[in-house]
This record gives sequence, structure tokens and C-alpha cells, in this order.
Amino acid sequence: MDVIANLKSIFSFFHPSKPPVPFTVLFKKFRSILERNNRILELMADMGDKLGGEYIFDRQYIFEACEQLNDFVFKMISDLCILNQQENVDLFIAFERIQHEIQEELAGRHAFPITKQTILLEDLDADSIDLVGNKFAGLGYIRNILGLQTPDGFVVTTKAFFDFMEHNGITGYIETALSQWDQNDEKRFESICTNVRERILKGEVPRVLASHIAAMVDIMAVKYPTTDLMFAVRSSCWGEDGEYSFAGQYESVLNVPRSSILEAYKKVLASVYSSEAWRYRLHRGYREHEMAMAVGCQLMVDAEVSGAMYTYAPIAAEKEQMVISAAWGLGPTVVSGLAESDTIMIDRTPPYTAYSTEVGFKEMKLVPKVSGGLEWIEVPEKLRNQPCLNSDQIEKLAQTALIIERYKKRPQDVEWAFNKDGKLFILQARPLNIRPKEPEKMPRVIEGTHSDQVIFSGKGVVVQHGIAMGKVYVVKKDEDLNDFPYGSILVSHYTSPRYSRIMQKAHGIITDIGSATGHMSTLAREYRVPTLVDTGIATKSLATGDEITLDTTQNTVYRGIIKELSRFELTGEDVFEDSYEYRLLRRLLKKINPLNLIDPHSEDFKASRCRTYHDITRYIHEVAVERLIDLSEKYYKYHNTTPKRLESNIPLGLVIIDIEKGTRLPPEAKSATMEDILSVPMAALLQGLSESGMWATNPVSVDLGSFMSSFTRTCSASLAGPGQIGRNLAVISKEYMNLSLKLGYHYNLLDAYIGDIVNDNYIYFRFLGGVTDFLRRSRRAKFIADVLEKFDFRVEVHGDLVVAKIKKSSKERMVGKMKILGGLIGYTRQLDVRLTNDQQVTRFVADFVQQIKERTEVSDERFS
Amino acid sequence: MNDSLENTNRDAKLQILILDDEAIVCKRLKPAFQKAGYDVETFTDSASAMSRVNEKKFDIVITDLKMEGEDGMRFLSRIKETAPDTGVIVITGFATPESAKESFHKGAFDFVAKPFRLSDIIDTVRRLEKQIRSKD
Repeated sequence: MDVIANLKSIFSFFHPSKPPVPFTVLFKKFRSILERNNRILELMADMGDKLGGEYIFDRQYIFEACEQLNDFVFKMISDLCILNQQENVDLFIAFERIQHEIQEELAGRHAFPITKQTILLEDLDADSIDLVGNKFAGLGYIRNILGLQTPDGFVVTTKAFFDFMEHNGITGYIETALSQWDQNDEKRFESICTNVRERILKGEVPRVLASHIAAMVDIMAVKYPTTDLMFAVRSSCWGEDGEYSFAGQYESVLNVPRSSILEAYKKVLASVYSSEAWRYRLHRGYREHEMAMAVGCQLMVDAEVSGAMYTYAPIAAEKEQMVISAAWGLGPTVVSGLAESDTIMIDRTPPYTAYSTEVGFKEMKLVPKVSGGLEWIEVPEKLRNQPCLNSDQIEKLAQTALIIERYKKRPQDVEWAFNKDGKLFILQARPLNIRPKEPEKMPRVIEGTHSDQVIFSGKGVVVQHGIAMGKVYVVKKDEDLNDFPYGSILVSHYTSPRYSRIMQKAHGIITDIGSATGHMSTLAREYRVPTLVDTGIATKSLATGDEITLDTTQNTVYRGIIKELSRFELTGEDVFEDSYEYRLLRRLLKKINPLNLIDPHSEDFKASRCRTYHDITRYIHEVAVERLIDLSEKYYKYHNTTPKRLESNIPLGLVIIDIEKGTRLPPEAKSATMEDILSVPMAALLQGLSESGMWATNPVSVDLGSFMSSFTRTCSASLAGPGQIGRNLAVISKEYMNLSLKLGYHYNLLDAYIGDIVNDNYIYFRFLGGVTDFLRRSRRAKFIADVLEKFDFRVEVHGDLVVAKIKKSSKERMVGKMKILGGLIGYTRQLDVRLTNDQQVTRFVADFVQQIKERTEVSDERFS
Repeated sequence: MNDSLENTNRDAKLQILILDDEAIVCKRLKPAFQKAGYDVETFTDSASAMSRVNEKKFDIVITDLKMEGEDGMRFLSRIKETAPDTGVIVITGFATPESAKESFHKGAFDFVAKPFRLSDIIDTVRRLEKQIRSKD
């Protein structure tokens, strides 16, 4: 492991050699790394923000942002080279590679070349569209982004199509035939069609392609060992289900055994050149080279009931209804209208009340034959007049279809099936050609009579644009997520990546605090959940059960449901997410934003594993912080300033190394008072220690001045020795503090940066140990964790170890947090002795919170 | 919607023309302004925009500054010549103090640097609308 190895090599703890570069220079490089890191994170967040839809941007913006990023990342690596005195070759290599890919994208050359002949459905992502055609790209996001169930399988790609056509000389034939064809000669056109189809059906699947397909089937056979694999072999063209639906133009072959897959594949390809389909394309101005057919092979669903669903019924749009058609057995019954089916009209909003249910007389149903192919069989007598779907199934279907609609921002035509176990499978979803009518009058909701419905407007930061309607559900703690009702709007104090659990269920998210750059925001964009953060007032203005409409395109929250807003979104001419600029930016961000290097203790946390700019900056940040702490602790004898002993009525035995403007003293000064401290985090911490008066109210100690005496009375006397006390060390600058504090048998470690730029700020707090038995120490750990969680820290507890972090808060808030930590350090120093039972934890938490509020000026929105 | 809403719309909708050679800007601004209660026409080349301006009176013109063909600054001047009442908002990705100054000098109502938030541009238009309506 590189980091540890590096640290070990530097770990010449007992005989530190003098660093080759003056410490102040190294610290400047560290600061510079921090600054660039923040600029990069800001820029990444800024680019990410643009995907949220609140901003209008153009290509120029994308070019400039990428150029700046390249520059910052390069310089950050250069800074690290000086700080860690290494060449960091692996980082430069990673940088070069990512930069090259970005340039290729910007130049319009796909950095995702179409080279694969086959691909598993599970490997599809939003950029697979050229590879697998529209239909399967769509199934890809349904399965891999929205997490809905689709039949498993693989796709024979467009690359395979070109290879097949080329291999059999058909590409050339079509070119020649079309160039010689007189467009009025219908007969000739028919004969070209027939000829091409025959050439395809008689054609040979290239050997390499055939073996790729066989390999894919083998993978399926391993995944599903118990069943005889039967496949649905289905078309997926460029442009299909897109602007033009091509619905029903191309063939699907159902229930195909392994031995017949290649035949079915050719059948589907041939359907591209049926005279109807070809004419359809020519009629709409499609060029021949725009034609590429991918073919999906999916496992057959053992369908009990299947059908289609429109998220907007083809009736007056104001009625806001969805329509489901359902029949026993396989889907073609409904889709092709081959037999009678049930028709259910339901409301578009929960609980999806059925307006009408027409139960068809379903005498026959289509089922798979054991040997392959389909057959009609009789429906058992008692089921013929029975509705195919129960209310639970209808609800499930409605929810699922609307998840897809919300994501695509278009009414959807969804083909679905419930299998024999009652599991819902999405077979296909395409934008519905029948669109709801645009609302005639777009109410000027803010200025008009709806203004009385505005709960708040213009507050906070938009993370993802869109319209959400539903009931508020306030989440106070993680357990609340367990009961999150489908279709609710999540309202909470802060953002949390844990909300990923309910992203699918949530129609919208509103928080009091939090940034648009966090993990949750990324997820919200991924799922396209309309999200507003940092409103300051969400939990105060909204209560569980309130019916609201969240319109993040206008950054407004309305009381009640305003359906026109949602209809306006669904009827817009263009969906932003489908635009070229959006897609380009998203592809670029994939090379920039994802964080793969998460755990610094993992084997993979090394420079050569950096795959994105975020990885590089994360890696450098980690290495730089480690390096600085290391330098502070091990080389302090070589610092240019004399260590200063803190003279204070708080006898911490603290030695301070001021590396840059942390005190107002000259470098040679040997002692400092509290008033001399200019370091923002240090001053705040000390203030918290004294102002809070926690010493005085501490259950054991008597007053502030006698802290050390009471301390030594209770704990081991050896701690009173000056050698021990001298081990408490703080390295400070104007904005930075690294403090190692050993008090009795427990350790506090604090690493903090508090400046004017919100994104720079962080506090890292670690607490470990104690003099009492493990149980009492654990109670103290629990106490600390409870307190810090109340003040918005992210806290982890492992036995008696507490790690708490907070970052990206304003200077004012961070100063408040430091004061709280100051108070906490005092309050907890002997608390373990007093925590004789678990109930006391709660009592002391309440006591601490009350006291800290009374005795310091710390205000926290939660307690104000 | 209820009847009272109609009353709030009794003032005629303001007419907005948007000119930007990057189609994405037009595509996105159009629905946003429609939703905000305006009539919107968009153009990606200045020649067609100019000929449309000669045909029809627009209350508000939103124009990019740097485009192929005639640039936004000249477009701004020509609008101010032909229809001095029209409020012009300049949007640009190449914002400099000089170009901002020149825009104001030529009578632009405001100057907005790209990329911008939808809410910012809508606010700007609302301010301009207020000014226009107060003149009526």
C-alpha cells in the first residue's frame, strides 16, 4: 500500500532528518494544494450543477470548464511533487490519460468506440445508445439506473450488424441498388426489398460473432442453471422509439431456444428491409447509413398476465388518467390486439383510484411452447371473465410506469408482464406519441392568484430541476427512511447519501442545509429527482402530510397540487436531458467526477488506480494531509519558529508551533497567551473551553483553575509530569489547526481548517481511550457521538473510539462547532467515571446541550 | 384553473424575441419564458431575427453577443434604431467589462454573463417588464 509505505519510509520518528525544503515553503505548497483542490471540486460541482437544469449554458462553457480543470489538476500534481519530494509519475500518467479522453470527447470523437459485438444488459449505461440502439439503451437505464426489473439477457450490437452486412456483401448491394433505383419505380423497390431480405436470411453469421453470441448464452446458462433457456429476440434500432416510434415495424421472435438464436437474429435483421419499414424510413428522410440494428436476446418471462400501459390515456388531458390493458399469458395478445383484454382507467396520482374497469371476455391466451414458438390455448373457464390484475398489481404498475415517466419527462407507453411469482418485469418503454395537450393557460403562479399558495420561493440551491407533487414526509433520523411512503417529498434538515435508499420512491427532496455538490445531489441528478437544498426553512415550513408542489425550475414550493405545472413539463418541445450539450457534459463528467478511490486504507488507494480527476485530487489531498501531519509531528524541531508554551488558566500543557500567522507573536517568542492566538480554529476551541465553563460544571472538577489538580487526582499521577504534558502539541496557522491532546488516559485529535471559503472548511475529531472499564468508556463514546450528531457531525463509533467529521460549513458555523468541541473536551474528560448506567447518557446529553447553549454564544439552527 | 386567474392575465402577454446561435440556449429559454407567462420566438441567426423584428414589434429582445454573421452588438444597435422602446438584454459567454460597458452605452437594459441561472434571467426580464408596464 503506497500511502502506508510512504509513511513508513518517512517514519524515521526517532531520528528525523531535516526536511530538504523549509517547512514554511512546504506548508505553502500544502495550502496551494488545498486551494486547488477546492477550485477543482468547485468546478466539478459547477459542471455537475449544470446537469441539474437550473442553468443555461452552451458548448463554450463546456470547453472552458474542461480547460480550467486540466490546468488545475496538472498544477496540483506539481505542488505535491514539492510537498512529498517525489516524482509522482503514476499521477502524471493518469492525468495524461484522462486529459486525452476529454479532448477526444470535446473534438466530437466518441471515447466510447463501438467495438463490442455483444454486451450484457447489466453492462449497459446511458452512453450505450449507439451500441445497442434506442430500445435496449432504454431498457438499460430502466434496469441499471432506475433499478427496475427487466428480463435478463444480452444485446448483439450495431457493430455486429455492420459486420454481418459487410461479411455477406449486403452493404454494397444496397448502395448500388439504391443509387440505380428510380424513386417512382415501386416494383423495383419491392424487388430490392425482397432481395436484401433473402440475402440476410441466407447469409452467414460471421464465425467470431457466432462465438460471441454463444459465449453470452453460456453466461446466461451459468446465471440461470435450472431452466431451459428460451429467449425473446427483439429489434433495437438507432432512432427506434425516439423521434419516430417505428412501432411494430420490426420483427420480434419470441420463445427461441438456444439452437435457433442465429436464425432468429437473421429474421429480425431481415425485418429492417421489409418494404413497409424501409419506406417508412425513406419517407422520413432517414439516410441508409443511419440505419443500424442491434438485436436483444432476453430470457422469456413466464408471464401470468401481461399487457401495455399508457401513463396518459388518449382522452382529454385534464382528466389526468392512465390506462392499462391486460390479458392472460404473453404480451402480444394485447399489443397486437389479437384477442380481448381488460382495460382499466386509473388516476395518475396515488392511490391510483380506478375510474373504470372493463373486463374483457378472455377465452384464449398466448403461451410459450416447450419446443419453442408460441401457441394459443384456452383460458380456464373461471378465469375468462375475471380481471387479470388485482389492486396491488395495479398500484405497483402505476408506480413503476410513473418512475419511468418522471425520469424521461415524457408520457410513456410501457410493456410489462407479471410472472407466475407475481414479479413485475418491464419489457419495453417508449415515449408516448399521444401527448397530453399543453395547458392552454400557463398560470403565472407566482404573481397571479396562486401567490397565496406560495410557501416559499427563491430559497436555497436547485440541485435537479423538475416538478414534484405529493405529500411531505419529514425525515429526522435514518430509521424514518424505513417507512418512507412512495411518492412523498422528502424534507429533512440535512442532505445525506443515505437517502439513496429512497431515491426511487421520492418525488422530490427539500433540505434545510447541505450543498449541491454532495453525494446525495449527484444521486438526485442521476435519478432526476427534483431537489432543492439549503433552503434554511424547509423543516420549519413543511410538516409531514402537507400536500405540496415543488417546482425547482422556478425554485418555488406551493401549497397543494398544481397539475398544470407537471403537464407543462411533460409537453415541452425538448427534454433538456436529451440535448447534445447535456449528453456531452454528462459523458465528460464521467471522466471527471466519479470517485473510485474512497477508502485510504484499501489496497486500491494508489496513484495508478486514479481513473478520474476526482480520484487524482482525492488521492493528492489524502497524501498531502498525511504528509503535513507527519511533518508537524516529527520535524517540529526544525521549524523556523520556536515552539511556544500556552500560558493559560486552562492547564492543557500545550505547545504550539505557529507555521503561519497563527499567533501575533514574533517567531522567537517562547510562550503565548490565549489572546495571542490568531488561528481561527485554535482560538475558537480555546474559547469554547473557557467560555462554556464546562470545567466548573463538570461533575467532578470544582473550578476552571483546579482542572489539572482534579484531573491528576482522578487519573494516574504520572500524567502530572511535565514530560507527559509536553506531548500535547498544536500546529497552527491563521486558518489551520492540528491538535493532539492527551488528557489522562484518553486522546483527542483535532484537525481543522476554517477559512472564508466554505468548501475549504473541515473539522476532523477523534476521541479514544479512558481510565475506566470498557463499558463506561463506551458510554462516554456514545455520549460524545450523540452530542456531535446533534450538532450535524457525521459520527462513527467503534467501541470507545469516536470519529466525527464535518465539512463545508460557513466559517461562522465552523467556529461554533469548534466551541462546542472545546466544551465537549472539558465536559467529557472525567465523564466516564460518572456514567454508571446507560440512561445517564441521555441525561448528560441533554445537560450538555443545555449548558453549551446557555454558556456560549453558539447558536445552532436546530436549537434556536 | 379558476376564473380569477384570467383577470390577472388581462394585460396582454409581453412579446419576447431570443437570438442566440447556440440552439440549446433558445431551446431552453423558450419554455421557461412561456411558463413565466410570455410569448416567445427564438432565432439562431441574426439575419432572420432582424427581418422578424422589422415585421413585428417585440417588447423584449434577449440577444447573444458573439455569433456567426452579424454580431449581437450590431443587432442591439439596429433594434435601438428601429424600435427604441424595445428592452434589450444582452447574454454572453465572453463577458468583459468593455463589452458590458458598450452594451449599456448602446442602450441595453442589462447584461447577463453565461452560464446563468434560469431564475436570474427571468428576474431580469421581470424587472424589465415592470419598467415597460410602468411606462404604459
